Formats: sequence, C-alpha cells, structure tokens
Amino acid sequence: MSQEKMSRRDALKLGFVGAGAAMLSASQAMAAAPTEKDVKFDEEYDVIVIGSGFAGLAAAAKAAERGYKVLILEKMGRVGGNSVINGGAFAVPMNKDQKAFGIEDSKALFIKDALKAGLGINHVEMLELIADRAQEVFDFTVKCGAKYQTGKKPTHFGGHSVARTIVTENMSGSAIIQPMAAFVEKLPGCKLVTRAKMDDFVMSNDGTTVIGVTARINYRFDNKLYSDDIENKSGEKKVYRAKKGVILASGGFAMDKEYRKIQDPRMAPDMDATNHDGATAGALLKAFQIGALPVHISWIQEGPWASPDERGFGVAPLLTQQGLFVKGVCVDIRNGKRFMNEMADRKTRADAQYVILREDPKAYPVAIGTYNTFDEQIYAAIEKGLQGGVMKKFDTLDALAANYKIPAAALKETIAKYNEDAKNGVEDQFKKQTLKDMKGKECIEMKGPFYAIRTVPKPHHTMGGVKINTKAQVISANTNKPIAGLFAAGEVTGGTHGASRLGSCAIADCLVCGFVAGENI
Amino acid sequence: MIKKIFLIIKNNMLLTVLVGVLVGLLSSWILYEGLHRTSDDKFCVVCHEMKPMVAAYHNDVHGGAGKIGIKVTCVTCHLPHDNVFAYIATKARNGAVEGAIHFFGNVDAIDWQANRANRAHFVKDEACVGCHTNYKTNEAISEQGRKMHAHYDSLKDTAKEISCASCHVEVGHKGLRSMLNYYKPEYEYYKGKLDKKKEEAEKKLAEELKK
Amino acid sequence: MRSKKTLLALGFFLILGVMSLVGSEVNASSPQLKITPELKEKFTLKPHHEKLSFKCVDCHEGQGDDPENFKAIDDKGCLSCHKTKQYLADRLKFMDNLHTNPHNSIHDGPKLYCDECHFEHKKSDNMCLSCHSNDVKLWMRPTP
Repeated sequence: MSQEKMSRRDALKLGFVGAGAAMLSASQAMAAAPTEKDVKFDEEYDVIVIGSGFAGLAAAAKAAERGYKVLILEKMGRVGGNSVINGGAFAVPMNKDQKAFGIEDSKALFIKDALKAGLGINHVEMLELIADRAQEVFDFTVKCGAKYQTGKKPTHFGGHSVARTIVTENMSGSAIIQPMAAFVEKLPGCKLVTRAKMDDFVMSNDGTTVIGVTARINYRFDNKLYSDDIENKSGEKKVYRAKKGVILASGGFAMDKEYRKIQDPRMAPDMDATNHDGATAGALLKAFQIGALPVHISWIQEGPWASPDERGFGVAPLLTQQGLFVKGVCVDIRNGKRFMNEMADRKTRADAQYVILREDPKAYPVAIGTYNTFDEQIYAAIEKGLQGGVMKKFDTLDALAANYKIPAAALKETIAKYNEDAKNGVEDQFKKQTLKDMKGKECIEMKGPFYAIRTVPKPHHTMGGVKINTKAQVISANTNKPIAGLFAAGEVTGGTHGASRLGSCAIADCLVCGFVAGENI
Repeated sequence: MIKKIFLIIKNNMLLTVLVGVLVGLLSSWILYEGLHRTSDDKFCVVCHEMKPMVAAYHNDVHGGAGKIGIKVTCVTCHLPHDNVFAYIATKARNGAVEGAIHFFGNVDAIDWQANRANRAHFVKDEACVGCHTNYKTNEAISEQGRKMHAHYDSLKDTAKEISCASCHVEVGHKGLRSMLNYYKPEYEYYKGKLDKKKEEAEKKLAEELKK
Repeated sequence: MRSKKTLLALGFFLILGVMSLVGSEVNASSPQLKITPELKEKFTLKPHHEKLSFKCVDCHEGQGDDPENFKAIDDKGCLSCHKTKQYLADRLKFMDNLHTNPHNSIHDGPKLYCDECHFEHKKSDNMCLSCHSNDVKLWMRPTP
C-alpha cells in the first residue's frame, strides 16, 4: 500500500501525463475488474475465446458453426499452446475401434478407472459428460479436418483397464489443432489473433455479468521474466465486447514459476516441466478475481514417463507410455528391481519414482523393453529417440546394466521372473494389467536388442482450476450459481480428474467441455 | 600453282566472292550448330557431375517448368557472353576440366553444398540482365524487389558489388538445396534416409532427358 | 498487306520497348543515415545480410533516421524480400521427409512468426529446442 501511495505522490509531483497512468496502474493493483462504464469497446463479437488449445478451438468451432462471430485471443505467437506439442493421444471410451478389435468398454469402467487414479475426489458428473460425448466430439473434430490413426487396435494407456486411446495421424495434437484453427478462421466473422493477451474481464455495470475483455495485441511473451503475467508490459491495449459471453480456455499453470511453487513448494522455479513456456496462471487468477470458484488447485500432476535426458516434453513420453512401460519393466538402478506397476496411473508411478529420487536424486529409474513393446502408432518415434540419445539400444542385458550401473545379476533375475510370470499367466506383484494378454508369450525378448530410457517425473498437468458445471458454465464462489456470460473448459478448470488425470484423458476433457461450452453459450 | 589460283580469283571475282560467302556461312553454321548442340543439359550432363542440378533445373521456370515452357540452356547463364572468344575459351576449358573430373577424378569428393556459396561466380549477371532487361522497372516485381534491384545497381563496379545470385539463391534450379540433399545429404542424420527421393528424382530426370 | 503487318508488329515492339523504359523505377532509400562503426557494432547484421551491404532503412523503411527509435520489422517486412512462409518451407523440402523442417513442422506448419526464432541484431533462437533439446543439432544447423 505505502508503495502505491508513494508512486501516486511522485506522480502528482511530476504533474504530467504520467500521473494518470501511475494512478491507473495503482488502482489496477488493488482492483476489481473493469465495468462497462470504465471502457470503450474497440470491437464487438458474439463470443470471445481465451486460448487456442483443444478446449478453445472446440468451443470456437462449435460456436462458430452455430453462426456466431467468434474471436479467439491467443497470448503466444504460436497457435495451440500445450495442445500442439502434446502426443495426440485421445481416450474415447466405447469407440468404434474398440468394438472392431473386440475390446469391451463401458462408461462405468471409464469412471472407475478415472476415480482410482484421481483418488476418488473427482467430480463424477464431469466424467459422465466426457464418457457420454467423447465419441460424438471425436466425430466433430474429424468433420473439422482432424486426422487420427483409426482402424488399428487402440493404445493401452497407464491406469486404464482397457485399451481405449486413439492416436492422431502425426502423433501430435497438432493434427487436431491445425485443421480446427483453419475451420474456425474460414467461417465468416471469426478471427484468431495470436500474440494477444487477455488482461481483464469486463463486467456489466452491476458486476454480475461478463460482457467482454480487455486485451493487448502485439504482445510478446518473454520467457526470461520470472513472471510474465506481472512483469510484461508489451503490446497495445484493446477492448472487446462479447455479446454472448467469454469462454475461458487458457490452460494450466505448470510453467508458472511462482504460482506452482506456492501450491506445491517442492516445485522449484528452475524445475523442468513438460509444458510450453506460456502455461501460466494469469487468466485463471483473473477468473478468481471475478468470483470463480477454485477447485483442487494444489494438485499438480507430474508425468512419470518423462526423461531427464531431454528438455520439456520431448520424445520420451511416447516411447515409454506407448512403448517400454507396456511390456517392459522400469527398475531401480541401485538394486535392479522393479518398484511399481509401469502401467499404473501417473500419480502412483510418480510417487514411486520419488521414493527413489528422494534417497538419491541422481538415481533416475530406467525403463527397459524390447521392440515388441512398441505400439505400431509410434514406430516413427523410435529412431528419433535413439538418434537424440534419449533412448539407448543394447545388444545384451550385461551391456545395458553396465551402462546404467545396475547390478547385472539382479537385473537379469528381475526380468526372468517378470517374463515367467507373464508367460504363465500369474499376476505379478504390482498387478500390471497389460500382461494379461501376454500369456504364453515373452514380454521382454531375451534375444534382444534391449531399449532403455532414464525416467523422471516432470510437472505436466495442473489438476485444479475453476469449477464448471456440465454446461461448462463457471460457478461463482459468491453465489454457488453460474457467473453469467462466463464459460470455461480444459485445463483451466478443476475437479474433473481429481488428484490425478489418466493419460490421454486431457484431449477428451478439453474437446468435450470446449464443445459443450460452444454449444451452450 | 599459287599464281594460277590468283589468276582464277582475278578472273572470276564473282565466283570467288560466292565461294567465300559459302565457306563463311558453312563454317559459321558448323560453329553455331556445334555450340548449340553442346549447350543444353542433355549434352552437358554427359560429362559434368550435375544430375541434381539438372533435376532441379527441370523444376524451374528457366528449365521449362513455367506456363510458357521457355527453356534457357545451361550455357546461357553459366558462360560469359562478353565476346565469342572468351565464350569458346571458357567452354573448352570447362569441358576439358569437367571431362577429366568425370573420367579420372573423385566425384564423391565434390562438396556441392559448399559450392553453392560460390553461386555468384557460376551465374553470369549479364545473362540474367540479357533477358530481364526491365529488372528495375518491371511492375510485376514487388516494390521492395525493385528497391533491391536499385540497391544492386548502386553497388555495381564498387568493391561491394553483389550479383543476381547473391539474393536469388536457387535461381534456375528450383529446390536445389533439397535436390542436392537427396543425392548427398548435408547432415549426417539424413544419410540413407532420402534414397527414395533420389530414386524418384533420377527416374523423372531420365524421362526429361529422353524428351 | 505484308508491309502493313510488318508495320503493325514494328509499332507493337516500339511501344513495348518504350513502355519498358518509362515503367516506374524505384529509388533506393531516401533518408540519409550514416552508418558509423559504433552503430555497426551495436546493431550487427547477420553475415548473409552484411554481405549484401544493406543500409538500416532498407528494412526500417519509413521509421525516421534515428536507429535508437527503429522498431522491429514484422513478418511483412521479412517477407517483402523472402516471399512467403510456404516458399521458405519449400526450400527445405528435403527435411519434410523426416518431419524435421523447422519452417513446416508437424506442430505449426509454415505459420510461425519469423521472430519466434530469427533475430537480426542478436543471436537467433531455435524454438524446437524447448522440447527437442537433443535432436535439433542433428536435424539442422544453428538458426541463421
């Protein structure tokens, strides 16, 4: 407070134009969101979407298809945020390929899986929404031009009881994002603006309804700043009216050095994450400012399939999730033993890895498998992993053990036991669900060659966010009722997945809730 | 004997002139045909190590890929045109050197990618300007383009002189860098992985040369 | 008849010739800005541009004559010479076969801002590095 007073006094002393600006920034620091009487609108749209990831584009595409004039504001220079660098894995419960390959799935089974991973604190009505509409929304994205590898046996992701995941054609979310962005931009009156940062919600004069946003265009995100949201002053101000409302789809905050540390002090500011640089909490906090109800904010999911041998998301997540973890093993390098179900949910696995890493921060567990463990969908990534050095290939287990300083005899014993159990149909000590169909077969082929990746958990998905209902309306903490004119979808929302999200459910969640927001606005 | 010839010439002035003209025409026709037939890609590629260059040339407007199908021969751009002697001398020298490299040299040792840096040396500006006479005024060229052409002119005959190919890096050979990579990848990572593209290019080239 | 045709053709070529002479010639940049050694050191050019002896105003056109006040040129500025993003992507077509073309990546296609990676007066960046830290050095050379 005293600092603000100082700045006001200084400004008055100067007595120039600066005074107004200084007062404005001081008032903003304390402040409520601007209301209609405070602003002059530069442009008018029916719907404004904040963010251009899966959720934002699904919302925009649906709203635009209904004939609305839609403006999408994207803070970053590239379209798609995390969605465009993700692995393109989309869990579609009860999908057509499951039926074709005789995989039995149900809504109840999907919810059971999600609840187990989410430690039971999931908001079940949201899971029901996803299960009910995933296939429909999948078809909608195909209509928009998204391309998937269909006609193949679905991929079996960790924590799922059955294989229910469909992978995009290019193994990246971009196969959904690019065509959907083009779909929206082609519709009359719709526009996607990059390097445009939403600053504030604009409220009706009575403060009850979101009627627009203030934003800055030509905004240059700066990853050198500790907090881009607070420190970055670039860009030119614009005010946009949203006649039908605003859809918040700004994503999570796994790269927000300060906010994630406050929520989970184990996450040091320099800790690597799988997210893109722009995954910060700014827009989420603006929603809280106008009364949005926070849920599960401090649950930050870490991906147990990442590698310390590359930055960010990288290629390891594909090669472990759809590869080494499926039929292979992950061992503690100090004793050559398995320590987790490699196909458990993310939190279970990350917690298990942390038990080791807390004792010895350099003892990154090593995932090991043979060629038979890789899904057909990711064959193209194998070479990339080897060339970049994230994955290594060994002719013998001895060579592998020597490289990672794993006791060779113990490692061989672990693998022999693992192979034997699977072959005989005996459930292993960690109850790995993907071994059921390995009866009579060799999980890790002893003829080699053997592939290996060092693993480490990296912050991946922020479970918490604003509370939405099944119409994607944001609930107010002040009234427990929807905030008029405000919808949200995707990682910026919380509750759906509870403590930890199952792999490949983000696309499902983002697209379904985005679609629902676009449908209801 | 010599005297006799002189006498014939003296007595038949008209005939002599006619024969002289004929001989002159014949020899210039031979020279023309000779130079002409040894000026296009079909001839040059016999000895020159330039398959990827020819393949890329066929994809370019200068190689007949344009709407009108105009084709500019190799020598038009790659040989000096200031006078016919320099032209023939350079042509002969290049021919000998290239032939020698083709038959006796180590072709694999040629670093094509590195040679692209010397493109200003290989492309003769007078040839470009010979056709694109209105490069400074042609309104089909963007304003920035014309501005840059004026910049080019302003540097002419100074120590900082630049050439057409300084900026028009793949002129005459559309996709040259990629084509060279199909034949000989510039980075280790691509080695052995682009052979299919090379085969495709070779097949297409063989058809083009048959035409 | 024949002479009429010849005359017509001659006239046509004459007109064409004159037209090509009087077409609009663009003058090189107008404001005079002296490039001092200090200025050159402060705002270094990339070697490929340096070689072409560009003047400040060749890029910073219509931005006055004080380099301190020059603004970054946007995509439009770069593309006034470099044609289109698709054109630039096509020049690296061989990389498409292994999905490593930075101008046409799997993630973004030929759509990124130029200055997401390329900077004229400071070291360029490579956006791919934020996820493919190990691979980029195999796929391509440092960003020019």
